[in-house]
Amino acid sequence: MSHRTITRRDFLKVASAAPLAGALAPALARPAAPESKVRVVLVRDPSPLGTGGAPAAEVVQRMLDDAVRALIGDKDVVKAWKTLIRPEDVVGIKTNAWRYIPTTAEVEQAIKRRVMDAGVGEDRIAIDDRGVLRNPVFQKATALINARPMRSHHWSGVGSLIKNYIMFTPQPAAWHGDTCADLAKIWDLPEVKGKTRLNVLVMFTPLFHGVGPHHYAKEYTWEYKGLIVSRDPVAADVTGLRIIQAKRKEFFGDDRPLQMNPHHIQLADTRHHLGVSDPDRIELVKLGWSEGLLI
Amino acid sequence: MSQPTASGPRLLASYIPVSAGPWLSEADQVFDAGTIFDYIDGAGEVYRSYNMRHLVARRFHKDGRPDIVVDAFDMGSAADAFGVFTHDLDGADAAIGQGSTYKAGLLSFWKDRYFLSVYAEEETAETKRQLLELGLTIAAAIPGAGEKPDLLRLLPEESLEAGRVRFFHNHSVLNYHYFVAADDILRLAQTADAVLADYRESGGRSRLLVVSYSDPAAAAKAGASFARAYMPDARQGAGMSTGNRKWTAFRVRGRFVAVVFDAASEEGARARLDAVERLIDGDKRGE
Repeated sequence: MSHRTITRRDFLKVASAAPLAGALAPALARPAAPESKVRVVLVRDPSPLGTGGAPAAEVVQRMLDDAVRALIGDKDVVKAWKTLIRPEDVVGIKTNAWRYIPTTAEVEQAIKRRVMDAGVGEDRIAIDDRGVLRNPVFQKATALINARPMRSHHWSGVGSLIKNYIMFTPQPAAWHGDTCADLAKIWDLPEVKGKTRLNVLVMFTPLFHGVGPHHYAKEYTWEYKGLIVSRDPVAADVTGLRIIQAKRKEFFGDDRPLQMNPHHIQLADTRHHLGVSDPDRIELVKLGWSEGLLI
Repeated sequence: MSQPTASGPRLLASYIPVSAGPWLSEADQVFDAGTIFDYIDGAGEVYRSYNMRHLVARRFHKDGRPDIVVDAFDMGSAADAFGVFTHDLDGADAAIGQGSTYKAGLLSFWKDRYFLSVYAEEETAETKRQLLELGLTIAAAIPGAGEKPDLLRLLPEESLEAGRVRFFHNHSVLNYHYFVAADDILRLAQTADAVLADYRESGGRSRLLVVSYSDPAAAAKAGASFARAYMPDARQGAGMSTGNRKWTAFRVRGRFVAVVFDAASEEGARARLDAVERLIDGDKRGE
């Protein structure tokens, strides 16, 4: 078997060494492919954030609606949602309950409302994070909506949409090998395979750097006030990652790599074929507030 | 009849006060290497990579003020307590324990076989004062002191940046500090001891990595693996320009492998390896 590892020297051949751990250097992995682009929508709103870290519920609903309309290409938001969710679906909204930056109830309820508008009864919708394997609705789910915040992460580089499904595994720690390189393989488990209809990466107050065991300091968050929405979790994650990297450059004044290489995002594409990580193959639609966009 | 002495988590908990000024503590949570993910998710891998035994987490609460959290880790050895402390050296020296840093509402320090994180969920002047007082109290309660890893003695002192020395066992942690390769080409495998140190160079900084293996055969295999993956066209001891106008060189000596990265010149890289070799031979530990 011939396996050639990527070393620091490979990066030095294509660029300066500084951004190597975070930038992923897609050119090393494969040439750009000519396939059609995947759409990612970034929507932002300058309205103030509440104490829970989200804008007011009506603002979040409007942001989500605008994003889904732009993603699907239908001016009628309910019609757009009906292309994602069927009335007979059983829907799990996979959220994230991290103490410091959760998905937020505003985002969860905005999604739930539109799932119900698509014709799904409330008794066939559940919102859960750590209890998904025991949740009877998730056990019967035919459709999943994946919603979580973007943050830097002590071991996987960033915690974002791909990683959010780790709670569908009975032993999450079993996926930590090689700094979480193969997280995308979780998406092949029967609990989730082929069920994800929409991904919502919450960028209200992203964490771009972490300290200590809890990997959190308010100093390393900022009010970006955005949502990234896509059917492709890899494309959404790599878009969020680019914003995190741009913020780190702005804050630290250099291309400081993330503390761990978030290579699971690129590997989700190149090794596991879950989605698209090459920015050249992503159609990024930007809506709303443009100040401090960073991308 | 003598009283039973506290041990393990109970002993560790006894070093932490029950209140911190007006903040009162909640019930302790205790975790080990198998359960730490329930508390800090994937970040637990860092502490596991340093062979943590258990963690006592004590939260302090005061209405209207940010919570303060003490995470006290028993790492099993002073070497690993020092090592996990060196995982993040950013911040100002707080002069607590045997080494400490403070930044952004987080005080970290090590003493004996313990690593302490004292953390405020939001930094204020009051929480900063309280964190430092808590740290001093805990450090004073821990009776012993520990030795830094023996391997640090193999770092030549000339141009060494003493505040930028890291100790670890794992290639992911090496890559965290200095990306070498996606795979474990130095065969650290969680069983080797490794130290990575920064050295001042004209116009920049070079790194010296020294790895201690179980025996000379393991070191020889690791050296061969590194050479094959990283510098296949160079012989041992010779330098190689690595594309950024800097030089890399490595050497195997007994059960040690030493690598210099980013040296300003081939001669400089070789001189540093010579100095490491003299220290190894002086200690007669390479056999």
